[in-house]
Amino acid sequence: MFKKALLALPVAMAVGAAAQAGEWQDPNDVLQNLLQNNPDSKYLHQSEMNIMMMPDNPALWLVEEGEDLFYAQRGPNNVSLEGCDFGKGPGELDGAYVELPRYFEDTDKVMDFEQRLVHCMKELQGFTSDDAAVGQRHGNGSDIMKLTTYIAHQSSGMAWNPPLDHPQEQAMRDAGEKLFFRRGGAMDFNCASCHGDSGKQIRASVLPQMRDGQEWTKAVSWPAHRAGHDNVRSQNHRIRGCVWQMRHAGIKHDTPVNTALISFWNDAARGEPAILPDLKR
Amino acid sequence: MLRNKTVGAGLAVLASTVLIAGCDGWMGETSGEVDITAMSADELADHLVLETDSYRFEQEAQEGGSARDRMVQDGIQAACSIEGDPDSGTAGEVIAMARESYEEPPGGPRLGNWRRGAELARSGYGYRIGHRNDDHGTREAGGNCYACHQMDPAEELYGTLGPSLAGYGATRGNDSSVVNYVHQVVSNPHQYFPCTKMPRFGRNNFLSEEQIAHVMAYLLDPDSPVNQ
Ligand code: HEC
Ligand code: HEC
Repeated sequence: MFKKALLALPVAMAVGAAAQAGEWQDPNDVLQNLLQNNPDSKYLHQSEMNIMMMPDNPALWLVEEGEDLFYAQRGPNNVSLEGCDFGKGPGELDGAYVELPRYFEDTDKVMDFEQRLVHCMKELQGFTSDDAAVGQRHGNGSDIMKLTTYIAHQSSGMAWNPPLDHPQEQAMRDAGEKLFFRRGGAMDFNCASCHGDSGKQIRASVLPQMRDGQEWTKAVSWPAHRAGHDNVRSQNHRIRGCVWQMRHAGIKHDTPVNTALISFWNDAARGEPAILPDLKR
Repeated sequence: MLRNKTVGAGLAVLASTVLIAGCDGWMGETSGEVDITAMSADELADHLVLETDSYRFEQEAQEGGSARDRMVQDGIQAACSIEGDPDSGTAGEVIAMARESYEEPPGGPRLGNWRRGAELARSGYGYRIGHRNDDHGTREAGGNCYACHQMDPAEELYGTLGPSLAGYGATRGNDSSVVNYVHQVVSNPHQYFPCTKMPRFGRNNFLSEEQIAHVMAYLLDPDSPVNQ
């Protein structure tokens, strides 16, 4: 459509000569480019050790395991996930992860990646919430994290480009921006309390600044092996952790607030290449 | 930098009358049908937070009340839900609200024990709820000051969201005007710094008056390592 063509232009320009927006790149190459282009970012350069470890990112093991799971016939219905539509057609994974959240006609709502994955595992494969396959959301041993890492990897190096054509997509993204700045909880924090300035530290952690797309693309590049947890973590896990530290109420996955936050934060990295999977502190 | 975010909620409202039926209770079981594109972004954000079962609202908060209470904004939280610094009108209102709600402790602010204050300044424990709950019965909640401030110059790990407070008492002394000022800042910093990132430790009952007295001693007592 007309509007889509308009959106595509700035995306291609932002990525510039490094790579075309649609081109797959090894996550380590994406990171190295980012580091070279931003020699002064304290956030991006904070962990020498993680940068060195990146070619041997332990998250890459989950890519392989996730691939097996994706094509395996599983669940009560004994089918693979090849019938799952992440927005680009059934089984079409190239670039799907960086174009989420998006509006899905079959559910008439905007869904983030994990919500969509769970939807497919339930609707196609017949799993229920009681099954560990969808119930267990976190940790290297979980199906969800294996599948997430495999599917996300198919978008590595591609520019974040969550669609905003549908009015619900725009509404969720705009509400997500408000949520980013919405103060609350026992410490009066909003997300910007800690992600509103460049190069600031909370204790030992250097914080990414949301309005700096090159810092923010790394910030939102989950799944990532989180060295401190020795586990691969998701976007949802990161949100839950920050919300917990903020002393807000505990947030639940597969919920509209979660989706709206991701709609906004992926949009805030628009045009910048994703590092999938990444490696973090 | 290139962005295309100027398309506001207005477009969304014009462009659609899509209705979300309350199937699987997604947009709130009680409301039946909710058109998310008919709301302003602010209204939708509030709606999402309070009406869509996105949080574990039924949990108890350590300060009393429910988790839901934490997400209902008071005047200062609402006024400060903005990007960047407040304009002068907002700043004035926030300062007025902060002054109005400020309470001096009975007998006036005083300094407690700096050693206890040091523990409280370091501790990031307390008031977290959700997938794990901090248990104040087994461990005291702290003030998390080091997350944002340098204090004892010998301490290596400190945050930089707030200014360095190293030597704070050594340069300012600790007469009653200083003690009163520091109490006002720790209790409700918006009296001086409208829409600051610093929490309202007194106003939010995050620290007790006794704990605030200890933390103040850590900052202002001449014997405290902060002032060496
Ligand atoms: C009290 C401070 C604080 C608040 C408030 C906060 N965060 Fe964070 N956030 C952190 C810290 C600390 C990290 C880890 C950064 C690191 O290890 O370098 C982090 C990490 C992140 C990351 C990933 C970057 C990384 O390298 O790990 C994202 C994305 C993020 N936060 C988003 C949010 C969102 C969205 C909110 C609001 C819901 C929020 N944060 C609120 C402190 C905060
Ligand atoms: C989330 C970060 C944060 C935390 C946690 C925090 N502060 Fe602050 N504090 C700030 C900021 C930011 C300022 C500067 C005010 C401004 O400009 O907003 C400040 C200012 C102050 C000042 C005033 C400095 C002056 O110029 O006179 C004092 C005193 C202070 N803080 C003490 C404390 C103490 C004591 C604690 C722990 C109980 C604490 N702070 C916890 C962020 C924080």
